[in-house]
Amino acid sequence: MPGITEFLTPADLERISNLQVLARTVVEGFCTGLHRSPHKGFSVEFKQHRPYVPGDEIRSLDWKVFGKTDRFYVREYEEETNLRATLLLDASGSMAYGEGPRTKLVYATRLAACLAYLMLQQQDSVGLVTFDTRLRRYIPPRARTAHLRVLIGELERTRPGGETALAKVFHDLVPRIFRRGLLIILSDCFGEVPDLLSALAHLRHAHHEIIIFQIWDRDELEFPFRTWTRFDCLEVDGRRHLVDPGHLRAAYLGALDRFRNDLKEGCSRHRIDLVPVVTDQPYAEALARYLTLRVRRV
Amino acid sequence: MTFLNAALLGGLAAVAIPVLIHLFHRSRFRVVRWGAMHLLESVLRHNRRRLRLEQLILLLVRCTIPCFLALLMARPVLTGTGDLLGHRKTSTVILLDNSYSMEAGGPARSNFHLAREAAARILEALVPGSEAAVVRMAGGVSGLLDEPTFDLERLKAELMAARAGFGSAAVPEALRFAGILLGKMHLPNRDVVLLSDFQRVSWENSEALARAKAIDELLRSPLPPALTFYHAGREIRENVCVESLETSRMILGVGQKLQVRATLVNHGETDATDLRVAFRVDGVERQVSSLPFLGAGQKGQVLFTHSFDTAGSHVIEVRAEADPLQADNACLMSLPVWNRVPVLLVTGDPNPEPLRGETDFLEIALRPYTSAGADLADLIATRVVEARAFDPALLGEARVVVLANVPQLAEAPLRALEDFVREGGGLLVFPGNRINSAWYNAAFFADGRGLLPLPLASLAGTTLQDRGTHASIVSQNYEHPALELFNDPRHGRLSDAQIWLWYRLRGETSPRPGDPGLAVLARLDSGDPFLVEKRFGEGRVIQCAIPCDADWSNLPMRPFYLPLMQQLTTYLASKVFPPRNVEVGRTLVAFLPPSEAGRRAVLTDPEGKTHELKAVPRGARAVIEYAQTRQPGLYTLEVAGGERLHFVVNTDRRESDLRQLGPAEVEGVAKALGARVVRSWEEYRKRDQERRFGQEVWPFLLVLVVGFLFAEVALEQLFARRKA
Repeated sequence: MPGITEFLTPADLERISNLQVLARTVVEGFCTGLHRSPHKGFSVEFKQHRPYVPGDEIRSLDWKVFGKTDRFYVREYEEETNLRATLLLDASGSMAYGEGPRTKLVYATRLAACLAYLMLQQQDSVGLVTFDTRLRRYIPPRARTAHLRVLIGELERTRPGGETALAKVFHDLVPRIFRRGLLIILSDCFGEVPDLLSALAHLRHAHHEIIIFQIWDRDELEFPFRTWTRFDCLEVDGRRHLVDPGHLRAAYLGALDRFRNDLKEGCSRHRIDLVPVVTDQPYAEALARYLTLRVRRV
Repeated sequence: MTFLNAALLGGLAAVAIPVLIHLFHRSRFRVVRWGAMHLLESVLRHNRRRLRLEQLILLLVRCTIPCFLALLMARPVLTGTGDLLGHRKTSTVILLDNSYSMEAGGPARSNFHLAREAAARILEALVPGSEAAVVRMAGGVSGLLDEPTFDLERLKAELMAARAGFGSAAVPEALRFAGILLGKMHLPNRDVVLLSDFQRVSWENSEALARAKAIDELLRSPLPPALTFYHAGREIRENVCVESLETSRMILGVGQKLQVRATLVNHGETDATDLRVAFRVDGVERQVSSLPFLGAGQKGQVLFTHSFDTAGSHVIEVRAEADPLQADNACLMSLPVWNRVPVLLVTGDPNPEPLRGETDFLEIALRPYTSAGADLADLIATRVVEARAFDPALLGEARVVVLANVPQLAEAPLRALEDFVREGGGLLVFPGNRINSAWYNAAFFADGRGLLPLPLASLAGTTLQDRGTHASIVSQNYEHPALELFNDPRHGRLSDAQIWLWYRLRGETSPRPGDPGLAVLARLDSGDPFLVEKRFGEGRVIQCAIPCDADWSNLPMRPFYLPLMQQLTTYLASKVFPPRNVEVGRTLVAFLPPSEAGRRAVLTDPEGKTHELKAVPRGARAVIEYAQTRQPGLYTLEVAGGERLHFVVNTDRRESDLRQLGPAEVEGVAKALGARVVRSWEEYRKRDQERRFGQEVWPFLLVLVVGFLFAEVALEQLFARRKA
């Protein structure tokens, strides 16, 4: 069974390690006033006492200590969040784009593995959905560390498949993930923006928090082709176009901008975090973005 | 449309290059398996037609650039659009016949006036910005201005000041000159207009080949001109001319009687009667004669006699008061009159006893009056020097040198003698018993390069003791001017002389090929040459086979000895060098004493204009030269001290035959030469308007190429921006 190190370079792992410290800080609510977990923990384990500061809840005062010392102390507990995160990995054909082994899908699976590792380290439960035209596999969220092996095993087996149909898949997913939680979508989000936004709105309606890691290849953003090129569709055989990309570039970049803006505005409207990542970016940067968003949401 | 570099039209094939590049790129596409197909397809869906259109436009622009570039380099000349575009600037060369036949028709409305008027109207009709040149065809082909000019007003002013009265028109040379001028001109529309009276003598068939060659050169130029023959003026049928003057003497002394024979020719079709013919000397009318009748096409002669009182340069003129064509009504001749003709006798065998010296007989023959103690003056003044006392300085005073039995000369005197002859002096060489024949052959003959006409081979004849047999001079009709006198038996028969001993001259049978200056004047009956003449530079050498004394012959005892020696000597002295009677275009040269160097002299030309000339030192003398002798007539040079030298510039009298080519003949000549013929200004104007002018369009193409280059870049950027 592949280990986490297969997906991450040592440098990445080191970076993640540092991020884990920050994550743990967030999760455990040490940064008082910065944020508060929206969900009450139920598995409480005493951690320490600390002096009372104005603003602390009165009910958290340890009256026994007050009785003994005549000072206000607050009891602190190891608090466990009940975050249920599900990684939604797009394995459609368009995710197969990329130079050599550095395809968008490879990047997405590694990023998913990192996120899973990171979240499991934070005692969050993590699930996984892989899909292309339809749902391929659904692994419900678990918080056990051993669950990581299941997730990574599934990620390992994921291969690029058919045509993207995000909207249909997301609509199908709503009844499957009935407990609200965090949905982390790893996809290029190619498709009709209104349909996609409609499906995302459906998910939001089910009270899911959504973070989209939109995976881009640098070529898709910059369209660097100069000589005559035949573009063969990765998803549908036989769809091909022979063009002079030099003449097309400006128009392509215009369309790309429109697409990204539409998606960005739609996501913003639905309070969905859209994080564009490029396959030549270090995984750690994407993780850092995730944790930043987590901090904001938590 | 025509192309100057038609071969470069092959560059039009470059139009295929952008297409080929396009196809090449299309065929060598790369394949990309692409994910964001929905973006690409949306772009294609909205832009496909526009992209194709833009690509097509760019391709067309790119194809046009090499196309225009190839056209540009081929230098196209548009014809037929000149009038439309208002560009009829032309490079025009007008060939103006200014021969003296053009003066026919009277001073006010001569053919030349008509031609000049037509030329002026042609210049006036040229569009501003045109360039033109006017070429005079006679008197040495030359332009009115040194170079073609855009200043048409100035050219017209020069044209109106131009005059006729020059020699024959040189048509082939004028056409060639027009070609040279056109080579210096700038505009693509080119015209050559030849304004002439088409006088028959100027358009003879003998020159047809030369004309055709000149026209061929003209038309083979990159921008061949349109050639127009403008027949100006009308044919005048009446003309009497003084064709030539002949004088009775080869050399003239003061007081000697000179007979001047003037030949008059009636070129007209009607008889001339009672022609008044005047004889003028130095501009003063001395005698008048009348020619009662001169039939049409006939020649007549008038004889005048005159003797000059003073030595120096004189000019005689015979003028017939005939028709209005003044140029050929008079004939002039510059005549030097000598006080003395100095002859230097160099003897190799002097002897104080009478008639025993080598030159004694010769001296008597050359100055008979002095020898006889008569009162009359001899023209020839002799001076006798011994061979060993011969000093080159003596040559400065002599016109003829006689070497009589001179054994040999030292190097310096020989070179001085060569220079003397080369510059017009005369040399008479007599052999004798004292000569060093080896030196004569080696240094004096010098393989034909020396002064001696023929080398000496051996003595021939009998011994002087046995005078039983002898040779004689062959009696014949002598053509040489020195011996012409003896064609008349009254002057004695050369064959009477008995010659016992003579030098056989080698190579005597005929003059050597390639040496036209060598001529045998008289032969002995043995076949050996008796008198041989050689031209050496500007002078002449006459070599005799026998001595000038009575040792080897009885020649000095014959009555003809005196006239023979006189004739030979005066003939040798008659060569006036530099010549005073020259053809049109030849440079006038005057030799002056070296003391004149640096001084100024004044030359008055036939029009009365004066030119200040400077004498320049050259060798042992001062020289004055004047090359602008296009105008025939009298040129008078007045040197310091008041001495006057007269030069007469003559023209070819063939020009006096005023018959012109008929209309059909002119058309025939024009057709053969690819020219068109017009006979009036209106006709010229009409034909000119009919004709299309060409225009070189490469500047427009250059602008187009540059424009298309910019357009290509601009379109590329514009299309990119629109897509964005």
